[in-house]
Amino acid sequence: MESAVIEKPKPAPKAKKTMSDKWYGGLLITPAMVIILIFALIPLFYAVNVSFRHADLTMGGIQGWVGLNNYRTVLHEAKFWATVKTTLVFTCVAIIVEMSLGVLIAFLIYGATWGKGLIRSLVILPLATAPAVTGLFWRYLYDTQFGPFNYFISLLGLPWHPNWLGDIKLGMASLIIFDTWLWVPFVALIVLAGLQSLPKEPFEAAELDGASTFRVLRTLTAPMLGPVLTLVFILRTIDLLRLYDSVATLTRSGPGDTTETMTYYLYRQGLVFFRMDYASTMALLFMFAVIVASGFALRPLLTRLAKRAGAR
Amino acid sequence: MKGNLWKSICLFMIVAMLISACATATTAPATVAPATSAPAAATCKDADRVPISWSTIAGFYTDAMTKIVSDFEATHCVKVTVVNIDNSQLYDKQIIEAVGNTGAYDVFTMETAEKASFAENNYILPMDDYINANSAAVDYNDVAPILADITTRYKGHIWGLPYYTYTQGQFFRQDLFDDPTEQAAFKAKYGYDLTPPQTWDQTHDVAEFFTRKAGENLKGVPLTKDFYGIGLMAGPYQEIQDELLGMIIWKGSDVLANDGTITVNDAANEWALDFYVNQLLPFAPPAATTVTYDGVMNQMQDCQIAMTANFFLDQWPNAVKTEQSCPGAVMGIGEGIEKTVYVGAFLLGVSSSSKHPKEAMDFVAYVGGKEAQTTFASMGGSTTRISVLSDPQFNTPESRPFTAHFAVLLKVFQNMTGKNSNLFYSPFGAKLYNSEGLIEHKAAVHEVTPAESLKELYDTWVQYCGGTICTVNR
Repeated sequence: MESAVIEKPKPAPKAKKTMSDKWYGGLLITPAMVIILIFALIPLFYAVNVSFRHADLTMGGIQGWVGLNNYRTVLHEAKFWATVKTTLVFTCVAIIVEMSLGVLIAFLIYGATWGKGLIRSLVILPLATAPAVTGLFWRYLYDTQFGPFNYFISLLGLPWHPNWLGDIKLGMASLIIFDTWLWVPFVALIVLAGLQSLPKEPFEAAELDGASTFRVLRTLTAPMLGPVLTLVFILRTIDLLRLYDSVATLTRSGPGDTTETMTYYLYRQGLVFFRMDYASTMALLFMFAVIVASGFALRPLLTRLAKRAGAR
Repeated sequence: MKGNLWKSICLFMIVAMLISACATATTAPATVAPATSAPAAATCKDADRVPISWSTIAGFYTDAMTKIVSDFEATHCVKVTVVNIDNSQLYDKQIIEAVGNTGAYDVFTMETAEKASFAENNYILPMDDYINANSAAVDYNDVAPILADITTRYKGHIWGLPYYTYTQGQFFRQDLFDDPTEQAAFKAKYGYDLTPPQTWDQTHDVAEFFTRKAGENLKGVPLTKDFYGIGLMAGPYQEIQDELLGMIIWKGSDVLANDGTITVNDAANEWALDFYVNQLLPFAPPAATTVTYDGVMNQMQDCQIAMTANFFLDQWPNAVKTEQSCPGAVMGIGEGIEKTVYVGAFLLGVSSSSKHPKEAMDFVAYVGGKEAQTTFASMGGSTTRISVLSDPQFNTPESRPFTAHFAVLLKVFQNMTGKNSNLFYSPFGAKLYNSEGLIEHKAAVHEVTPAESLKELYDTWVQYCGGTICTVNR
């Protein structure tokens, strides 16, 4: 009799325990989160703490709890609001000038038939140096007696001999001209990249349909370039709002205090007069304002990007 | 794969922690080692040298300081690391390190107005015991008495030694004042002889007289560019207040009264700023509102100005270069208008968080001492010691391009005895001093009137001092 051998079914090989995508993703971002925690959030919470205390580093250091006194003092201080006004005026004028010139230059480079690479390389030069260095260099360019600007003006035979950094009517304009020189290339390059990434087909179709240049610009280029322009606008606005280095090296908030921006005033309160309580309070108010403004500005862009992602 | 990644990260972190722990373990003993007496320099090996660091001003006689440090190291078993910091950042950087008690710098460099703030907060150590124990070597009494008083004394202690004075006097183009054509024209217009101005009214007259447009004559020769009567430091810096302080003291006032009452908006202060803005500034080059001392020296060397107001005498080696750059120019030097000027010096003090205070004090005593000060003077530095200022080797025709101001400094110190500002004895001094220039500069550029500027200054000081009276500890 043949014995029937019933083979025991082999147990299925034990599935190797793997990390879920969720945990894996979490793990990957952990180093970045740790860095943010250490270098951003802890100082932020520390600043919040200091803003509710009396903190004069050269007179006893960080001391007792004063509630909202620092916020009350700062918000009632005329000087603080004067610097807010200066910052806003500078930002509004500079952003208009920089965006206009940047877009114009981007279109000019885009339409150029030769030397695009060379022009792009030249345009990027101002961005290759630190504003702190170029600011000192521009101090020389603006010099009333020895500066090249006034030299060229005199060569033209003009009766105008501007005191760029010493005349209260010209101080802000001098700062805006410097910032424009420094940052227009950034705007131009980003817009140029946006232009070059636009699909060709709609433009070819429009050309076949005989659409005018203005119509193409209005109905195709502008809407398609919108997200790029919005992004550049927001980035530049935030950067202009926190302007410090150009003021520190070029004007030192002068002439008078006509170019004293919020961040420069904040720096002086914190690191010249060591009133860390006022400086922290101003920094938090400034950060809150920028976050709120950026949130409003970014909302349309994020909504559009979310819709586009959903459609895919 | 994912498991391996996780293990790798853990391993990496453990290794990193071990390495950092080992590094801490090996460096920790060095940072807490007590100060010990160093072996004699002659037998001293590099490894035995006690390390100290000195925070000082970048670009201020760096060559001379390198030589002095080298000489000190040759006689002491100490290694000095010189940390050069831009003058505009020096105070901020030192305070941050002092507040943090980091011990990053063993020796601080301070402005006169900053001494009380450092001392009040115990950021620096008193040096009385050291100076008493080493009285012969330090020879504290040789320091110009007014400098010793304003730069080193606070609350009955001595907090360091001055090593570089920027006390004011006046520079002028002597050749212009000696020119017969100019003398005759001046006398005809103002009714008295043309001389370097001794009073503020004369200063106005002379400044006005020499201010001329291109094409007009100067010493009988047509000018190729505009010429101005006076050079002023009216830019957004602290030096504008140094120009004003001599005027205020001459008027019998100060920025702080003896009891600490803030007086920046009193009649004398208002007169000084008003006179400066409306009687002197119109005769200065337009760039006056953007420059500080180096700008004025550039204007002088560029043949643009006839004289300075009260101005830092340590700049003599720069001023005298005008004789090379302007044909026919001969530079003169004076004790200052009304013989009442700003007096000040940089001083060295030892950080209270220094790991090696004895060696740091040795260094301060050396740099402020006669030997190093003589070396400093021979390289163009503006010494603080009476014996060096009056040393005959620095009063010869050969040494004139570098040290002609020494004899004048001695007179100025004499003139200013008992006229030092209360600002230098206030623990708020640094804050007050740092806030003053920018606010007074607003009047110079006509953003506000002098009275409005001083009102703002008064309010700012009230805020810093917590009331209308700032502490003054003479």
